[in-house]
Amino acid sequence: MIPFNLVRVESLKEALDFLSLNGKDTKIIAGGTDLMVELRDIAPNEKGPDTVLDITPVKGLKGIEDNGETITIGALTTHHEIKTSPIILQFARLLAEACSTIGATQHRNIATIGGNIINGSPAADSVPALIALNAEVVFQSTAGKRISFLKDIYIKPYRTDIQPNEILTSIRFPRLPENARSAYIKLGRRNALAISRMNVAVVLIFQEGKIIEARISPGSTTPTPDRITPAEKILIDREPSEKLFQEAGAAVSEEMIRLSGRRWSTPYKEPVIAALTARALRKAVGMGL
Amino acid sequence: MKKFILHITVNGDSHVLRIDPNLRLIDLLRDQLRLTGTKEGCGIGECGACTVLLDGQAVNSCLVLAGQCEGREITTIEGITPENGLNPLQKAFIEHGAVQCGFCTPGMILSAQALIDHNPDPTEAEIRTAISGNLCRCTGYMQIIEAVQAVVNGAKNKL
Repeated sequence: MIPFNLVRVESLKEALDFLSLNGKDTKIIAGGTDLMVELRDIAPNEKGPDTVLDITPVKGLKGIEDNGETITIGALTTHHEIKTSPIILQFARLLAEACSTIGATQHRNIATIGGNIINGSPAADSVPALIALNAEVVFQSTAGKRISFLKDIYIKPYRTDIQPNEILTSIRFPRLPENARSAYIKLGRRNALAISRMNVAVVLIFQEGKIIEARISPGSTTPTPDRITPAEKILIDREPSEKLFQEAGAAVSEEMIRLSGRRWSTPYKEPVIAALTARALRKAVGMGL
Repeated sequence: MKKFILHITVNGDSHVLRIDPNLRLIDLLRDQLRLTGTKEGCGIGECGACTVLLDGQAVNSCLVLAGQCEGREITTIEGITPENGLNPLQKAFIEHGAVQCGFCTPGMILSAQALIDHNPDPTEAEIRTAISGNLCRCTGYMQIIEAVQAVVNGAKNKL
């Protein structure tokens, strides 16, 4: 393991003050399930961070709150806490589903939603679910607060627009309404302890049996995570049906190819993301997988 | 590197240690405290052989910096083994053929122990989820699940 100093902070202010001076040479550690693997990979002759900043003791960055309209999740909340939260299970169930698929029990006990977002893996499980919830993220620094839609922070794989002096402090999204149905599906090489090969999050909002709003966000599919509007449009004003869901799935495939071109993985991803999307839509409305 | 002063409780014993800041928890346990029951199978959190309990929750000790455990409690396999003999899970693992090479066993037992501590009457699905982070290349897992179920049922029968 390369050498580095370890600084633990107990308050957000201490953390932000530290980062305002040392942000560029500092890596923040929370759950450590991504960072420790990354640090281990740094060769002895490569430059690593001077300091690892442990923010796990910081109060006020954990917890899930519901004010009746908006749900706010502290960035240090673990996936275990999210998957078992009564608030999330009732008003954002697909996020509980997504977080329950991350790694295994040992990871979910310490890994955080903030880390999953900022690590920026295209295969991150919580991100498509959060994007389908129209989530916003809050960054803080000594200069103040910055709020972005989650889908807008990604520059490229493993890179968000977080600045060296910033910390992601919370994530927030509107509650899903009563007439919403949602689902998350993950495809991995194993049923547990697996990285997403692809995944997809869907939200459908109904009125009198017809879909009036649709949100589809696939993971490991597009250059940066986003909603697939051409596929969503197909569903509007229609009643759920096998055929309709397959059309939407095909549209996700087409958009993937339009954005990323045909690559070595396309012969596999093209039919599979279409099938996963259709499957997720069926799961959301209870049609059976 | 600036040495880090760590206050940590391991298996009920309090320690104050001067450590390197980049020391992993697994290395603190194995190399410095000589608790070699915890095994390193992969070093990247993908096998669970290094599982220990951090404040009662199963974690991969290869992914935790020792310094992050300031003021906290660690339980290793040694910590749940009675002075003379074996605990119920250990006995059941042996009785049900759930130990072959034994390398996954300490981590596997701790994951099962953490489950039973939080949920004394788990379903088979819950048992499978609890051990889903512990890979076993030898047994095929059925004997392990049966051993855990035997302990759960044994405890229920005593009530």
